[in-house]
Amino acid sequence: MSGGGSLSAPEKAKRGSSSKRKPKKRVSFHLDMTPLVDITFLLLTFFMFTTTMSAPQTMEMSIPPEINKPVDVDEDKLLSLYIRNDDKLFWHKAQELPKPIKLEEVKKLSEKENLKDGMHNKLIIVLKIDENAQYGTVVSVLDELNLAEMLIMEEIAKVPDEDGEPTKRKRKFTIAKMTDKDREKISDEALSGELTTEEGN
Amino acid sequence: MAKVKKNRVSFVIDMTPLVDITFLLLTFFMFTAKFKTDAESEQKFFIERPMVSPDSSKLPEQDLAIINIAIETDTLTGISDTVYYYSIVNEEDRRSVYSMMENVPEDQGALLKIGNDSTSMKTLGRLIGFTKTANKKTVFAIDADKRLRFKWVEDAMEILRKNWQTVFNYVTMKKGS
Repeated sequence: MSGGGSLSAPEKAKRGSSSKRKPKKRVSFHLDMTPLVDITFLLLTFFMFTTTMSAPQTMEMSIPPEINKPVDVDEDKLLSLYIRNDDKLFWHKAQELPKPIKLEEVKKLSEKENLKDGMHNKLIIVLKIDENAQYGTVVSVLDELNLAEMLIMEEIAKVPDEDGEPTKRKRKFTIAKMTDKDREKISDEALSGELTTEEGN
Repeated sequence: MAKVKKNRVSFVIDMTPLVDITFLLLTFFMFTAKFKTDAESEQKFFIERPMVSPDSSKLPEQDLAIINIAIETDTLTGISDTVYYYSIVNEEDRRSVYSMMENVPEDQGALLKIGNDSTSMKTLGRLIGFTKTANKKTVFAIDADKRLRFKWVEDAMEILRKNWQTVFNYVTMKKGS
């Protein structure tokens, strides 16, 4: 650069000295961007390597407060879902015999039972968990039940309530302790029919 | 005699788009970066969280108390055991809760080890009660390992229930992440 880096205004061409106009000198200057880019790349790589994209999320739970009085419920509206100590799932309505169910089918089951005629907002799902069941399984089941809520909410809203507004979903769900009686009900022996014959005697 | 100068092959690469994108990425990563809380940086155990379908609910960053239930393996004996930890995110609340408890050492960090026997469960109950007194807005969360037996989580839930805290959160992880 032959003296091109001057920041002062170019001198005015002297009048009359020459008929030819001299081209104005452009003010040009170069800023060395290299250190800036260096630092930027450094920071970029730092943030890229330190960020974890998977932030934890939450699943809200509400449990009933301690009540000493037992609450009477209509058995027909009761759906019991069991998680056995080996993480196998079973379900039954009212006093039916427990039937095994796969985790993937829980969503369908909840949707089907909740949307039956006369069951809208009335079905109570009771989840009974064996204390030796895995916590991960419990959360998966809760997740499936939560997923079912979407369709249930949508379907229930199609029916207008007394005020003509879409019916709001009132979810009835609770977690209960598994009693020894429950454990017996869903044991392999009971399910294969051996215990039922004994009871008949 | 003037030497014949060889013509230098010079070329310039326009770095502008590259720098633009770099800045864009840099700002993105800088704004999305979240720093670890005190308790998280003290944490020596690893919790394998249960997987659930993607959801928009995030853990709050303030007014939060977490009950960690972790599987800890003794480095010497190799025996694994379940241990409860308790942490309060707000520093102010943490200090007032610690001052209400009698067995808490002066230099206690953000993550309080509780243990897993019956006396430690009483401690957990008192901690929860004091946390509620210190800050009514506190949200409670249970951060438990998915391989644990449900009994451990049930016990923690029972303590929450006894302290009239019937609404709480399970800390989970997005499926597939």
